[in-house]
Amino acid sequence: MIIRLVCLGALVLAAGSASASPPAQPRAPGIESPGYVWNAPNEDQMIALAHRADPSNGEEVYAVCRGCHQADGSGRGDAIYPQLAGQHASVLIKQMIDVRAGRRDNPKMHPFVADWVVSSEEVADIAAYLSQLPIPPTNLKGEGTDLTRGQALYEKDCAICHGAQGEGDAAEFYPRVAHQHYSYLDHESKLIRDGGRRNANPEMVKAIKGYSDADIAAVSDYMSRLSTESPPE
Amino acid sequence: MRLLAIQLLVVLTGCVGVLSAAPLFAQTKGDPEMGATIAARVCVACHAEDGTSPMPNTPRLARQHATYLVKQMKDYRAGRRTNEVMGNFIGGLTDEEIPHVAAYYAALQVIPGVVTDPSLLELGRRVYDDGNPGSGIPACSGCHGDEGEGTRRFPRLAGQDVGYTLEQMRRYAAGERTNDRGLMQTVADRMSEAETLAVAQYIASLIVLDTEEE
Repeated sequence: MIIRLVCLGALVLAAGSASASPPAQPRAPGIESPGYVWNAPNEDQMIALAHRADPSNGEEVYAVCRGCHQADGSGRGDAIYPQLAGQHASVLIKQMIDVRAGRRDNPKMHPFVADWVVSSEEVADIAAYLSQLPIPPTNLKGEGTDLTRGQALYEKDCAICHGAQGEGDAAEFYPRVAHQHYSYLDHESKLIRDGGRRNANPEMVKAIKGYSDADIAAVSDYMSRLSTESPPE
Repeated sequence: MRLLAIQLLVVLTGCVGVLSAAPLFAQTKGDPEMGATIAARVCVACHAEDGTSPMPNTPRLARQHATYLVKQMKDYRAGRRTNEVMGNFIGGLTDEEIPHVAAYYAALQVIPGVVTDPSLLELGRRVYDDGNPGSGIPACSGCHGDEGEGTRRFPRLAGQDVGYTLEQMRRYAAGERTNDRGLMQTVADRMSEAETLAVAQYIASLIVLDTEEE
């Protein structure tokens, strides 16, 4: 009888605390807020950066990411899921921590990177694992019709931070853009230009403020064809 | 004495390790033969000796990962997972018996599942392998494996009972089952009814003959 009562109590408790929708992504101040500092130090990021990362644990923890970003880290151009293989670990850490904290809005991804799913140390392990994966041989490219303009824009405005070959800069948290999916580069560049990517670097917003959609498409197409191993296709 | 102190330290360190890793990697070392005797006393009325679980909406346990079985039994004991029937039986197991029961069911022969609506298999395969980017559904295969083989972190799904899968998806979506870090609540919440029905059929159709058991 006592056992039954306890069971009943547990059921009532469970029913009382049950919630039909999963916890929503939090919202942290971003570029829209006065006094915004890009890549301001924060505890979770410091824990992840200081952690002596274990890529083999990262491979196991990466399971919760694999359903979208694929086993080889190639992402999906058709679904605007970025390619993660070969990206700088620092960049991956910053972006995962920013999504978790709500500085980068991504309600679809948030439940899979929330702190009750992966610890800050595991974020670093995942990043270490992905950064050492080979860059997949194929990616989604643009139409290839405006590459001259794309190259000119890239060399004028982008190469200074993202590198002549799109290699990025791990120490500065600047992502590798070479060989990324065209769809993702196009989507994120527009978000950054328009203020929708709230963890954006204001320097970059300034650099592409005057870009038309066609400019962004052209430079995204160009970047999707860059490779640090060989000249653009 | 010094040796004893070292042994104590090792045991304590082990405990801390288990505690900090819990509930993901609970102690799973068990003896299948001891488990058979215990299961015969407590489990077989619903789950059967061969793990086929003929009762409606009851999980098939044959070849399930022992780590997963241990975690679920401990979660039932602790009230982190609730079910009226299991609530009545889990008290019949001691903490020491749980790993043995898990080892018993984990070591059983694979039993192919039962597909009740083959017309749904094609949609089920698509969602299982590719997810649905439009609604943010990850591919099931990402965590549960291409063939539903599971891992020490995620349960084996291959051949699972259709009614059980659907009931769990309903519980996840309703927030009634949350002992998985909330991952499946998100997934179940994003899946349409048609997708859920189809995936349950596809899962039942999967057959994994052998997997490595940790």
